[in-house]
Amino acid sequence: MKKTLVVFAHPYLEHSNSNVELINFYVRHQHFTLRDLYEEYPDFHIAAFRERKRLKNYDRFIFQFPIIWFGMPPLLRLWIDEVFDRSWLEEGVENPLEGKEIYIVVTTGGKERSFSKEGTYQYTIDELISGLIVSLKVFKANIKDMIIVYEANKLSKKEIILHKQKFAKLLDQ
Amino acid sequence: MESTLAMNTLLFLGVAIIMVPLARKLGLSSVIGYILGGIIIGPYVLKLTGKDVDDIMHASEFGVIMLLFLVGLELEPRKFWEMRKKILGLGMTQMVLTISLLFLIFISVGWKTDKAFAIAMCFALSSTAIVLQTLQEKNSFKTISGEASFSTLLFQDIAVIPILAVLPLLAHSKAKHNENEVQVLIQKLPEWLQAGTVIMGVVILILLGRYVFVPFLRYVSKAGMTELLTASSLFLVIGVSELMVSIGLSPALGAFLAGVMLANSEFRHELEAQIDPFKGLLLAVFFVSVGSTMNFNVIAEDPLFIFSTVFAVLIVKFTVLFAIGKFFKMDNPQSLFYAFALSQVGEFAFVLINYGSDLYLFGEELNAQMMAVTAITMCITPFLLIINDKLITPKFLRGIPEEQSDFNILENNITQKKIIIVGFGHFGSTVGRLLKANKIKATVLDRDSDRVKLLRGYGFKVYYGDATRLPVLRAAGIEDAEILILCLDNSGDNKFIAELVSEHYPDVKIFVRAKNRIDAYSYLNNGIDNIYRETLGTAVDMAVDVLHETGMRKYAARRLGQRFMAIDKASIRKLAKADNDDEIRLFTTKELLQREEELLAYDNLNFDGKNWEGSSSSAEEDDDENKD
Repeated sequence: MKKTLVVFAHPYLEHSNSNVELINFYVRHQHFTLRDLYEEYPDFHIAAFRERKRLKNYDRFIFQFPIIWFGMPPLLRLWIDEVFDRSWLEEGVENPLEGKEIYIVVTTGGKERSFSKEGTYQYTIDELISGLIVSLKVFKANIKDMIIVYEANKLSKKEIILHKQKFAKLLDQ
Repeated sequence: MESTLAMNTLLFLGVAIIMVPLARKLGLSSVIGYILGGIIIGPYVLKLTGKDVDDIMHASEFGVIMLLFLVGLELEPRKFWEMRKKILGLGMTQMVLTISLLFLIFISVGWKTDKAFAIAMCFALSSTAIVLQTLQEKNSFKTISGEASFSTLLFQDIAVIPILAVLPLLAHSKAKHNENEVQVLIQKLPEWLQAGTVIMGVVILILLGRYVFVPFLRYVSKAGMTELLTASSLFLVIGVSELMVSIGLSPALGAFLAGVMLANSEFRHELEAQIDPFKGLLLAVFFVSVGSTMNFNVIAEDPLFIFSTVFAVLIVKFTVLFAIGKFFKMDNPQSLFYAFALSQVGEFAFVLINYGSDLYLFGEELNAQMMAVTAITMCITPFLLIINDKLITPKFLRGIPEEQSDFNILENNITQKKIIIVGFGHFGSTVGRLLKANKIKATVLDRDSDRVKLLRGYGFKVYYGDATRLPVLRAAGIEDAEILILCLDNSGDNKFIAELVSEHYPDVKIFVRAKNRIDAYSYLNNGIDNIYRETLGTAVDMAVDVLHETGMRKYAARRLGQRFMAIDKASIRKLAKADNDDEIRLFTTKELLQREEELLAYDNLNFDGKNWEGSSSSAEEDDDENKD
């Protein structure tokens, strides 16, 4: 079992059934550590050193968050700003992200069709969260997969179970 | 044996002290312990009690009145109104069905109509004392069956009044007319007014409650003497019941209404705390006297009659209650509990049967027999409930899976918890306002009656009471509270309450206001984690603004402020631990200065530029341990 850190950010979790049920998945599995950023840093004061030290202890990272106004939640953005450190790229400095497996789980209320070049919004999810993706790539992290849950506000219980099964398959390696 | 009142009291209390813990150890309700104790000291076993047992019994019937006063206190008029359908639906159906069925059975075995009807009415009532005690011991007031039981009992308690009125009619006015002076006042009134006495009595009580009781209690509380409040609580209850007696109403009803009238007032918890011990004591004595007046000769003479009556009564009451439970869509375990819990004949039957005998409705023998039936059904109830708990209910619960799905770990995170706020000055009221703005209800206790009055005017539910006393906290519901918020200005009192509560109710989570670091140390060393120093947040805000004034950017200043708070909170935990070895520390001025010095050194260590800017260091490890 790979020790996995789930970095979860959702400013309005109490209004999101699907995310509540999706993160239940992690709570039930021991080798996942769930970090709920909005619960841990309600006043946006991130303990950067502590976060950096923690990153070293995990083999795999999952970033899970909803798309908010066509971007990632502001606290996740701030978390990246505060925690990621350019000095990791210097020689002789340990880079806690290098070679680590990364999964990105994104939920959105929009339709799949809307997030395409031809769709209403004209930008894909990849493009909208490119800040995260490029940063991870700079630190030579290994982005394995990106799971996008469209129309997350309309998921039925059955669909959620299907998603969870997909997760389990993907992550239980 | 020669018996004085003191001797009897001694006996009663003694036997209660011995028997009740025994009964509790065997898993029985305390009521059984009292009744058994009564039987043991009674004329058929140890022959210890004398003639004046009847007097004691009458005196202790007052316990029932106090019980009703407390029941009333628990029941705000608004809640009463909300429950009206339940009370009427459950109570009325139960009374009507039980009375008719019992009446038919009694008639069919050849009793006279008046007798059968009178006894059917007496037996339809259940025991408020036993059931409330059971509900309290099982902590099941808030279950469906608990609420149903409560509503039914309430209707029955009210139904006692019309029954008292009907009994003389049944007796065809062959009653001895001077049976008590009770009627005197009514009879002096003109005929047309007599009919209205009930309504008048109630109206008078409501007016008294609103315009006399509360101002009176406010006046007394200003004197600030605890024993005066005890005195005035007793004065109120006894006064109201005497007043009711003098206008020919049941004192129990009077006490109940007085309770309801005061339920909305700020003195509710204080009154509860004052009356409760008296009620408990008097009820205990009442049950013991019930036991000691049980006439075993009567049972021995015709056991078949007695036990078949007991059996018939229990079956009828159980069936009716169970049917009502099912009709009102309770599930099987709930209906079963409801039916078993209320299947006995209540203590009001003792009162009513005695009254009936006074009216020559029943002969002496029937009186004794019916008393025995009542007492036996009361003794059986706890055993029935045990059988229900251990044997019957588990059968229904077996089929139900415990966890239905894996979906609900994080659902419904915001639940209404039972919260008590102590102290509602500037500090406490800020806490309370924020909670209230988010519709989180809390019970508030304060010691300043003027402030309580003022806040009540603004729609806060604030009660008058001294929270350093355990009975007051109990009345406010500390037993099932989850969160206790201590906001008193006096840190000594905060500390005292925190220790008191963590000793008696370790499950209650305590949030406490601390004056300063020294306060905080002592809370930390007592195992309380949620400490709020009134000098921290505001002072830091101020410093942040001063930093900005010196030219620092606001965001940078704010970040430094937050960082300072985190380090400060961590440091207090560290320094408190260092303190733990000494038992009680009274800080001298010199020591205080020393503390300040340590603190400044700690700040310098943690706050230097390198740590702030750069790589992981020892300071951050401290941060890591302390997630506050």
